[in-house]
Amino acid sequence: MKLLLWQWRAELWKLLARKRTFLGFGAFLVLEAVLLVVFHLDKVENVFRKMIQHQGEAFESYFSALTLGYLMLRLSVFLLGGIYLSLVAGDVVAKESEDGNLRLILARPISRFRLLAVKFASCIAYTVVLIQFISWTALLLGIIIRGWGGGLFAFAPEQEFLAFYDAGEGLQRYAMGTVTLSLSMCMATCIAFFFSCWRIKPSAATITALSYLLIDMILREGHFMDSYKHLLITNYMTSWSMVFFETIPWAVLARDYAILGGVGLTLFVLGTLIFESRDLKS
Amino acid sequence: MRMDTSRKKSSSLLEKNKSNPRIALIEARNLTKRFIRDRAALDDVSFEMKENEIVGLLGHNGAGKSTVLGIMLGMVRPNAGEVVIGGVSVQRNRAGALRQIGAIFEAPAFYEYMTGWQNLRALCALSGWWDEKEVWRVLELVGLKDRVHGKVQTFSHGMRQRLALAQALLPMPKVLLLDEPTDGLDPEGIHEFRATILKLRAEHGLTILLNSHLLSEVELMCDRCVILRDGRKVYEGTVQATQREHPQFKLSTDDMALAKSIALSAGVRMADDNSLEIIDGSSGHALLAQLVQAGVRVDAWTPRHKTLEDWYLELTHPKL
Repeated sequence: MKLLLWQWRAELWKLLARKRTFLGFGAFLVLEAVLLVVFHLDKVENVFRKMIQHQGEAFESYFSALTLGYLMLRLSVFLLGGIYLSLVAGDVVAKESEDGNLRLILARPISRFRLLAVKFASCIAYTVVLIQFISWTALLLGIIIRGWGGGLFAFAPEQEFLAFYDAGEGLQRYAMGTVTLSLSMCMATCIAFFFSCWRIKPSAATITALSYLLIDMILREGHFMDSYKHLLITNYMTSWSMVFFETIPWAVLARDYAILGGVGLTLFVLGTLIFESRDLKS
Repeated sequence: MRMDTSRKKSSSLLEKNKSNPRIALIEARNLTKRFIRDRAALDDVSFEMKENEIVGLLGHNGAGKSTVLGIMLGMVRPNAGEVVIGGVSVQRNRAGALRQIGAIFEAPAFYEYMTGWQNLRALCALSGWWDEKEVWRVLELVGLKDRVHGKVQTFSHGMRQRLALAQALLPMPKVLLLDEPTDGLDPEGIHEFRATILKLRAEHGLTILLNSHLLSEVELMCDRCVILRDGRKVYEGTVQATQREHPQFKLSTDDMALAKSIALSAGVRMADDNSLEIIDGSSGHALLAQLVQAGVRVDAWTPRHKTLEDWYLELTHPKL
């Protein structure tokens, strides 16, 4: 176990030594800043004003740091999250295979399974850290612009809900949302990791994973798939926002995340089997 | 910072084996590999390497040399056969077998964005080993002590190769696999590299497999060589033996017909290009004396040394 942790630390170290890792954090920060400006454009603000006032609540109370944080989190993860996580997880095996690093690594007394387990764990840790970073910087930016106070106005078209919470309850729900979103986004990482284990270029692994997610999402949106939504991964990934429901459906959440966990684990096992069967030769 | 117990065990094993130098440390048994169904990249290749021996692996491009190394490192799965290193099968217990191996590849791919030191740490972590004192000792040995904290992307090819050697020696293995290690090095770099390898063998009793296209390199470094052609082993034996074959001389004379008849009666083989090959074990001096006594006017008598290259080409391209 100690050896495994040591090897995992070395893998994380490699990840953190890359400039691209930090450029990603920077890119999300810039995106959040841009979104913040967009949300303060008169026409955009008016849309939210109407939505909030239509529910009989005061716009000034609910267009707060928490609401802005929630909006920025949703949009930035939707716009860049999948792409960035697929890029990192798609690279993790395929890039090392392409660059030849794997030959040096596999000349060491480490099994392929252990190597993949360490890489997989690093990708998952990275996903959680990135989503947490996006979540809390979004809230921080919201606080800088609007100051602390006011409630949370949360809504999600895909879950067909909107809800209002005071600051304390809102912060609690927001914190829970960051956890469930992290878990949901781990699925994007798992898919990209799976393709990274194939004998393909890293860009191909990233594009294939993104294409899968995009097709899955389009199918989910199409009404003709209503009877088959249970077969679509993104259907379960969207469950993260259920923690903003007035009454949280814990059983549904547990079921959905059990399914995501099972699929993620299956993808890891399949990826490992594919990687195990490969001959690694220059 | 610690040295794991398995390493301590292998160090003591090394000491023990030094006193018994004829133990077969590596056994490649009946290796067969087909990447494409109808063509064997390796066809029933077997060879042995004794403790403290340097063996050259020779062959043309596509002969199967890299496949042999790949199988030895468990990166390529053979269709049949196995490699046993120090009594441990690579195919059955890869991690156990690889604890005894260090490997260098042609154009080693390090993490460019990390320093040499960070690369060593990351690679050694995979072996579950780190001992700073030993790392500095090896860095001094390979001559990279002063630059190890620089980013690898700033390293020259020679420095990368030194770093590759350092990582292969950390922790100190029993077997070193070298895949085209001097490719791209300047003559000075090649000389230094060769000296380091020979020093390692002398001081640490390493057993070394050298996969190289440079025949001169094999000639200078190796005790024995294994030659592959189209995935099959065509020779396994000492490098010196290649030069102890029948002595050859080039004769220049006007009396070629007389010279030929004398040569034939003396049991000497004579080729169309007037070269003579003594196959009965007698000396060139004796033959020359015989020719002169018989009245052959000898204009020139030049010993011909069959180089490793000549011999290698004969084996790998019999029609040349």
